[in-house]
Amino acid sequence: MKSLIERVSTKYNLQEVVQQRDNLVFAYVDKELAIDMVTYMRDYEGYAHFTLMSCVDWIEDGKFQLLYLLNNPETKTEFGIKVAIDRDNAVMQSAHHLWEQIWTYQRELKEAFGIDFPGSPRVDEDFVVEGWDDMPHMRRDFDTNKYAEETYFMREGRKSYDPATYMREKLYPKQPVTAKKNKDEQ
Amino acid sequence: MKQQTRNNKRINIITMNIKDILTPFTAWSKVVQDPVTIKDPLTREAAPRYRGFHKNDIDMCIGCGTCEDICENQAIDMVPVEGVETKSGDSGLRPRIDYGRCCWCALCVDICTTNSLNLTNEYTWVDADPEVFIYTPGVDKKSWDDKEDGWQKPVPNYHFYGQKRVHMGELHADERKDSFIEFVKGYSKEQAEMEADRCVSCGICTATCPAHMGIPEYIAAVRNDDMEEGMRILYETNPLPEICGRICTHKCEDVCSVGVNGDALSIRWLKRYIADQIPADVEKYNEILYTKDIKKNDKKIAVIGSGPAGLSAAYYLGLLGYSVTIFEKLPEAGGMMRYGIPSYRLPYDQIDKDVDYILSIGVDIKYNVNIGTDITLQQLNDDYDAVYAGTGLHLGRSTRIPGSDHKNVYQSVDLLRDIVTGAPVPVEKKIVVIGGGNVAMDITRSMARLQMEKYGEVNVIATALEDEEHMPADREEIVEAREEGCDVIPAYGPQEVIIKDDKVIGLKVWKCLSIFDETGFNPKFDESDERIFEGDMVIESIGQGMDLSYLSEDIKAKMEFGPRGRILVNEDWQAKGLPWLFIGGDIIEGPDVIHGIANGHRGAMSIDEFLNQGR
Amino acid sequence: MSNKFFQPDRSKYPSMKDDGTLDVDLSSQKYTKIWLGPNHPGVTGNMAVEMTLGGDEIVQAKTHVGYLHRGFEKLIERRLFVQGFPTSIRMCVAEPDTNEYLIARSTEELSGLTDRVPEMAEWLRTLALEMARLQGLLRGVPGQAGTYSLGIGVQWGVYLRDLILDRFEELTGARVYHMYIIPGGVRGLLPSGFKRRMEDNLTDIDDFIVRIRKLIFHNSVFKSRAVGSAVIPKEWIDKFGIVGTNARASGVKRDVRKDNPYLKYSELDFDPPTATDGDVYSRTWVRWQELVQTVDLIRQIMAKMPEKGDIRGDMPNALHWKIPKGETYVKLESGRGEYGMYYVTDGSSKPRRVNLRGPSYTHAIAVLEKMLINTNIADVHATMVSLQTCPPEIER
Repeated sequence: MKSLIERVSTKYNLQEVVQQRDNLVFAYVDKELAIDMVTYMRDYEGYAHFTLMSCVDWIEDGKFQLLYLLNNPETKTEFGIKVAIDRDNAVMQSAHHLWEQIWTYQRELKEAFGIDFPGSPRVDEDFVVEGWDDMPHMRRDFDTNKYAEETYFMREGRKSYDPATYMREKLYPKQPVTAKKNKDEQ
Repeated sequence: MKQQTRNNKRINIITMNIKDILTPFTAWSKVVQDPVTIKDPLTREAAPRYRGFHKNDIDMCIGCGTCEDICENQAIDMVPVEGVETKSGDSGLRPRIDYGRCCWCALCVDICTTNSLNLTNEYTWVDADPEVFIYTPGVDKKSWDDKEDGWQKPVPNYHFYGQKRVHMGELHADERKDSFIEFVKGYSKEQAEMEADRCVSCGICTATCPAHMGIPEYIAAVRNDDMEEGMRILYETNPLPEICGRICTHKCEDVCSVGVNGDALSIRWLKRYIADQIPADVEKYNEILYTKDIKKNDKKIAVIGSGPAGLSAAYYLGLLGYSVTIFEKLPEAGGMMRYGIPSYRLPYDQIDKDVDYILSIGVDIKYNVNIGTDITLQQLNDDYDAVYAGTGLHLGRSTRIPGSDHKNVYQSVDLLRDIVTGAPVPVEKKIVVIGGGNVAMDITRSMARLQMEKYGEVNVIATALEDEEHMPADREEIVEAREEGCDVIPAYGPQEVIIKDDKVIGLKVWKCLSIFDETGFNPKFDESDERIFEGDMVIESIGQGMDLSYLSEDIKAKMEFGPRGRILVNEDWQAKGLPWLFIGGDIIEGPDVIHGIANGHRGAMSIDEFLNQGR
Repeated sequence: MSNKFFQPDRSKYPSMKDDGTLDVDLSSQKYTKIWLGPNHPGVTGNMAVEMTLGGDEIVQAKTHVGYLHRGFEKLIERRLFVQGFPTSIRMCVAEPDTNEYLIARSTEELSGLTDRVPEMAEWLRTLALEMARLQGLLRGVPGQAGTYSLGIGVQWGVYLRDLILDRFEELTGARVYHMYIIPGGVRGLLPSGFKRRMEDNLTDIDDFIVRIRKLIFHNSVFKSRAVGSAVIPKEWIDKFGIVGTNARASGVKRDVRKDNPYLKYSELDFDPPTATDGDVYSRTWVRWQELVQTVDLIRQIMAKMPEKGDIRGDMPNALHWKIPKGETYVKLESGRGEYGMYYVTDGSSKPRRVNLRGPSYTHAIAVLEKMLINTNIADVHATMVSLQTCPPEIER
């Protein structure tokens, strides 16, 4: 695994290489080199089994992190190739020509995160949420609670009391609390 | 592809033989077997561990609400329940389950701090009205309330939070008993975070704390390693965290919900940990607590006494912009905290740390001023807009048994004060202490240290009226006193100080059978069980009284007094009859530090309200 | 059903356009569009296949999922680490325990606390996973015959599966959604008498195994339908990412239990069965052998596991558990193949991303859509069941 990482690192300028387990490595690669590297890993390093394509929304950095997780059936190891793409301009080169199931992942990512893969078959077709017209539902800024409150009705008569607050009201309503000061008041 | 499929088929059809037609008929043998269906599925009892409907023992439940916090479906509400009183250690709330949301995961059972909430193995309940599927277990009676079977917290060693308290390092008894240096070491960062992690953040403790400190909030600050935020939370309700972090009577820990089935949180030590992390630098304090430039108003307040109540009132009045002057009889600030509590429990530099910060926000202090003689109370009234008196209990109370007027019978408060001021303290070879409270333990352990210094051995007996379980001193005080070689003997009542040749030689005691009866304090003794505790000096430590000599007769005449000379105050801690005089500290509540801090805070707010009336 | 004597005139079938798609003109009235599902067509879950038919043969197929979508991955992102597992189980109804294990293992690994999981809990986890596989196979093996209207085996299997669910009930407190494997360990020891009752059930299953072999695998109807049907060629395995029994039936021996042993599998003696033909018959045959093997594995586990021990290690307070930024991919071998979870944490008390990788993601979409072309409409169910499509793990 070590020699593989060294070999690929120099070739593709890997960043933030993390060996999570003996048989699992994650590393970032530049967006432009990603598909090339995936192809290289498949054809020359034995990573012939494509396990998973996924996305993480790092909304605070303005990035989507794409993951191509490859498996080498011979060495029984996994290599996670990560790509950071701009959240505002979420477009990625399609990899549907490499494995037969990739277009499905890309179609899902288009729907769930709004990442476009130009040229990928059926990428614009609805996948899981047919007729969805809100923001892509797996993005971090899609608020499930708010959506549920707006879409469904809640059971009537539900009310809960916080024990500490309730005890204050009942037992010592007059006890003063100096409001905690914050910097702005200073 | 297509071609290949067809070829395969042809081959296999050829390989098929007569056996493939006949063997499936072996299934017919099942025809003569008994059916396997359950005859009456409606009464089928579920497995003993089955997760069915909830039940709750509402007498065991303390309404801590951790079930609500862990519920992943927001199916639980904490609701007030008729017949369950909100009191210290019990919020009076009980969980109500919404079965429209419950997924029967039983995380609520697994985390329940009291083990009162369980799931029964009842799983059938049919009703046409959907609204009935929301109920408060244990309150709304259900047919399965008495069922024993069902999901209970798994065993063994299955806990959602730490059960064992993180051990606090202490000097060994042999290391500590010959000196007055602080022996409790305090938590390290790792220890404190581990201890803070055990908290379930229910907030039950807050009501019991006399100052109602934001305990779960500052424990969260320890977890998040945010000491500055922790300090701000502490100072919301308590301006003496270093002191309280060491010697607080920690009533909160008695009601801690984690303590119901495990060790209670070390709330006091965590408070000390936060305060200890901030260096003794008033500049830094002012920066963290945003008290650099407090806008002053034109009102002046006098505070009599610099004990916990006085300091607390002065601090919160100072925050509000009042010009506060403290008048202290003794040469240094702190009152009983400095002159009553031995420094092995509370080092002087820690008192200074808290006091220096209070003074730094613009509170003035005048030492060695005796109200009544150096300056009269009336004068304070004339010069200031209001007066706050937290004068404390500084007079020792005597047992008044025969011989107790001998010169070798001492009062613990006097001796403790003398140890601090450096006045000569008599130390005899054998000492008997009367009393089982914290002050008695303080003098016992202090005298033991002095004996070690002087004679190299400890020979102190402390005798209490109460039996072992009911001794008013903190448990750890008794244990530690014994570790240091003191003899703590409970359940004996003093009868006479035995004097021979004008010298104290011992204390005669009788076994105490009971202390209270229907008339109140009225101890009963077993005279046949008599013991003599040998001693060259006797120290009485059975409580303290207040010294109200600073009140002149004409002022006294305007005030109201209750039984045993107690000053009567209204709910704003205003002396009845004298609206400008506010009272606090041990003479009103307690006696302990945290009550003083609490009513000092309340007093400050009342003064603010009083002075702003009509605005 | 395709007739081996009569072959349709292929010239009437749609021609391929330049871009590779078929030239299907619905208005020509030569083709019919019908939907299979989204009702529950047997043991394949609520999934729909939109089929374009020429006669009774499929010329185009599209898988539609989403009927079970409740956004579990998103919901777990909004829950504490301990709260995730009761939600996760619904991502795979067939073997819910697999999800619990993946969540638990991911949180333990990213917290660096895997060492604290007690030995006893590891054995009980292994047992729960094998029991889950067993109850899945008891339904799946005869279920394959059920798609050819051979219902009797299904009845036997479902009865025995219920007995295993009884064992689940007494071990975990629930029949289908067990909520047993929790971050840090498991939620209960074996109840007293469990092993004896389990052994009774296994004896019944031994009998069933023999009977079902006679009923299905030496059955002219089953053979004539299943042999040579829905073949997965060996070269498809990597091309489509095919895993589990589907891959093993085509002669590619891949099993996470052997390749990357987890839990106690390295201490158990077993060899994943394989076949070569890659058709429905082979896949069912491999699953039947797995059934035999799973019964054996459960016996081995019960013999080897310690009598008592801790069930959960010391973990951080469930309410304040925070995990530093990190990511991992944890996998196991479910009855359907490699079943994994990509788990990302960001230092807070909730996961940043949870992504389940179910084998059906490729089996039920890319593979199925390709495989159905030129298949007779009567074989669609059998094909789906033989691929063990499970829509909840696709749409999560």
